Amino acid sequence: MNIILPSSTPASSRALLPRLTRRGFLGAGGVLIVSLATPRLHAQASRAAPSRSISIASWLELRDDGTIIVRTGRTEIGTGMSGFYPQVIAEELCVRPETIKLIMGDTDCTPDGGYSAGFLTGADNLRKVAAYTYQALLRLASKKLRTPVESLTVEEGVVSGNGHKISYTDLVRNQRLDLTIPVSGEPASVDPKSWNGISGLDGLVVLGNPPTRPMSKYKIIGTSNPMPGIPDKVTGRTQWTCDIALPNMLHARMVRPPTLGSTLISAGNLDKAMFPNAQVIVKKNLVAVVSPNEWEAVTASQVVAADTKWTEWTGLPTSDKLTETLRNYKWTAPSEGRGSIEETAAALSSSANLISAAYEQPFIKHAPIGPFVAVADVRADGSIIVWSHSANSQGLRAQIANTLSVSVDKVVVRWLDHGGQFGRTTFGGDGAEGDAAILSQITGKPVRVQWTLQDDLAWSASSPGWVEDITCGIDANNHITAVKSSFYSPQSNDARIVGAILAGMPTSQPKPGYWIATEWPYDRIAHRREEVYGMPNLGIDSPSGIGMRGLIMRTPGQRQQNFALESLLNEAAAATGIDPIAFRLAHTSDQRLIELVHATAEGANWEPRPSPNPNASSTDSKQLHGRGMCLMVRQNSYWVGIAEIVVMPSTGVIQVTKFTIGADPGKIINPRQLERCMLSGVVMGISEALKEEVTFDTGKITSTLWTSYKILTMAEIPEIKIVQISRDNKGYGGGSEAANAVCPPAIAAAFHDATGIHPRRIPLTPAYVTRLLQVAKTAS
Amino acid sequence: MADQLTINVNGHDRVVTAAAETPLLYVLRNELRLSGPRYGCGVAQCGACAVLVDGAEVRSCITPIASTTGKKVTTIEGLPSIWAQSKGIAADLGTLHPVQQAWIDEQVPQCGYCQSGMMIAAVELLSANPTPSVAQIRDAYTNKPPSPHLCRCGTYAAIIRAVQRASAAMKA
Repeated sequence: MNIILPSSTPASSRALLPRLTRRGFLGAGGVLIVSLATPRLHAQASRAAPSRSISIASWLELRDDGTIIVRTGRTEIGTGMSGFYPQVIAEELCVRPETIKLIMGDTDCTPDGGYSAGFLTGADNLRKVAAYTYQALLRLASKKLRTPVESLTVEEGVVSGNGHKISYTDLVRNQRLDLTIPVSGEPASVDPKSWNGISGLDGLVVLGNPPTRPMSKYKIIGTSNPMPGIPDKVTGRTQWTCDIALPNMLHARMVRPPTLGSTLISAGNLDKAMFPNAQVIVKKNLVAVVSPNEWEAVTASQVVAADTKWTEWTGLPTSDKLTETLRNYKWTAPSEGRGSIEETAAALSSSANLISAAYEQPFIKHAPIGPFVAVADVRADGSIIVWSHSANSQGLRAQIANTLSVSVDKVVVRWLDHGGQFGRTTFGGDGAEGDAAILSQITGKPVRVQWTLQDDLAWSASSPGWVEDITCGIDANNHITAVKSSFYSPQSNDARIVGAILAGMPTSQPKPGYWIATEWPYDRIAHRREEVYGMPNLGIDSPSGIGMRGLIMRTPGQRQQNFALESLLNEAAAATGIDPIAFRLAHTSDQRLIELVHATAEGANWEPRPSPNPNASSTDSKQLHGRGMCLMVRQNSYWVGIAEIVVMPSTGVIQVTKFTIGADPGKIINPRQLERCMLSGVVMGISEALKEEVTFDTGKITSTLWTSYKILTMAEIPEIKIVQISRDNKGYGGGSEAANAVCPPAIAAAFHDATGIHPRRIPLTPAYVTRLLQVAKTAS
Repeated sequence: MADQLTINVNGHDRVVTAAAETPLLYVLRNELRLSGPRYGCGVAQCGACAVLVDGAEVRSCITPIASTTGKKVTTIEGLPSIWAQSKGIAADLGTLHPVQQAWIDEQVPQCGYCQSGMMIAAVELLSANPTPSVAQIRDAYTNKPPSPHLCRCGTYAAIIRAVQRASAAMKA
């Protein structure tokens, strides 16, 4: 079978050839199997090693019973990918999305790896897989129908040409066909040379550019395909990670140190009369209680915890002194810098006006409603199965193999639904999996580890606090001439396995640093210099080696850096007496952005005027009203947020009354699922703007319950208005992340609009708002 | 010490072996293998474990099993049959409570971890107030003791719509 190469594929590279081969005729049944070939794996094959391209699970199987099975290492994390992916595949294959069965996340059943942080990379892969398959099916049909490919048409899996029809299922009947497609990438592995301590996190990427359907011809993309897992979730049929129950399985509860740096002096004893089936397990600083009965494990662990002795440790600065600590750190060279230092400095020094501000935010948490849970079965034959809800199964597999010092081939990670991740397992670390694997290795039995809420809020990684200094110069025409920014934060890439650190076992070793996450929206600002600085985790040098582990969280880096940039833009607009929307439009020529700003402003009934509003007051005791806006460009998507708020000066409480959010993510794949992501992102963003703050004393995180780590409740949500723009000529953009990030700058701007005070810190808690108003009152 | 207790769950008497103070949640999940109620916080602060006991929402993570003997416990797995009973129709595998159907129609769950408790709260609310206003829905999910029902994915707006949809369906 001859496959015509995509025109962009270098003909000299034989490894990049998609190849369709017939492996034999079958008596019954039939299948087309799409698997992958990496140049590297082919090179191995040429040295007479067996080809691995057929030893790992195939990407797509088209079976003669009409089912199409698609396997991907990426998973449903609540954003609707299990709905989007079948749409993308169905569109390219010309079949109904219902015929596609997705298998997600299991390392022994999926070939590609990669993380489930967004829709983009995974969708592009699957789109190409489907496009390659479509081309192969056309070739098969062309031969059968004796018609050139160009004159074939396909509808719902049936190919027509030359007055005849043949279905995909008939094309593959009674034979096994293998289509090998070109991919690049490395499997995930723990790699001390990598910045994150683990490489291959992106998984495999499909190469070449097979012809894909023009967006203008789409029939399935652009419709609101439902998320397939929802009926099972509302009826109790879903099997969640926490539901795994194996014969002889032990339930475990962890007995954690009292601080993030303490080491074990002596583990507490168990009264065997009270807890006849429970057992204390100790490995260095890892302490757990296991029992076949979960409630016995819970109660016994509380007794053991009360009797366990630890060293004291006071190596944290306290959350009240976080900003001071970041300020006093001996920063050296930036991790990354972008733009000209000299040109920006020159432009600033010749500007008519300078506006400078320092912004800050404390540590915050991913804080899903389902705390970490995992089951591990380390078997006598050396095989290891881990049931997990990680957003990167292959990364986790590499981490577990590394911690237990076994070959990665021995480890299988099976993925199941659980509480949202919001980025905390993107790098394959964190979580209860390490605890479970270590305890199963020690006990020789399957072990289920359930972290308590307190465990999770105290011991999972956090999104670190930060400060940013930012300055802009403004010329005589009220135009920004230059922006200089310096962002400072602890590292956000610590995916070390907690259980491994405590047990003194190997784990990944991330390097400190940070990255420029801003995608610059203002091409009409002539000069800019951005610098980001990353320091090691607070308390990383503690005796236990844990400290405050920092990790990425929804819209990572850009959420923080965009807050500073957009807050500065709002301050500059106010200083120049210009409407904040008009001020932004004067600094960009990007038509997509301009159109979205206009559409969102219209959706919010925005009346142009400068901030603060004419009735703004920092001394009134009556309710104050304000509105504010911000924007963001992220991953080929454009976002605008407009907040309307009420401030209650007597209590310091802010209620967001209406939030209008606009998005242009290129071609909208599924308007309904995008709307869901926008609605829910706004809820998380308001929560971050008004409430969320990790508190810690000199040794430990103290916000370990929902009464101390507060998130938004239903009564606090505003009316949310959605504006969407879909485009047929701009590709796909991200649709789930940024919605949270456009809330805090818009709400901060609305607070200024209401009070005349620029808030330079989030969250805008009642205590902070009261303090801001008191300072203003004293000054007036 | 473990006792033999009889509890009525989703319309059936079930004999379980558990210490009297064991929270209902652990019995439902580990003895009766019902995965609807889920562990969220263990201290009645989130609502993920909510079930109905004699029609009223309780947090199963802090409810001793012994306190539920002689009462009717309902989890989301039992919602179709209580709906079928109330309507005098035969329940089959495809039967759904209007609240469940509304949760599907409104595409409420994202990760879905908290949604079992959210649906239980909806059933309780609609039994007390068949036509709640938006303000009453917000109030029920936020201010009713022992704690707000929390959703980290931020599905609150979809929940409000779904409760209204279920309300309309149950009246019809």
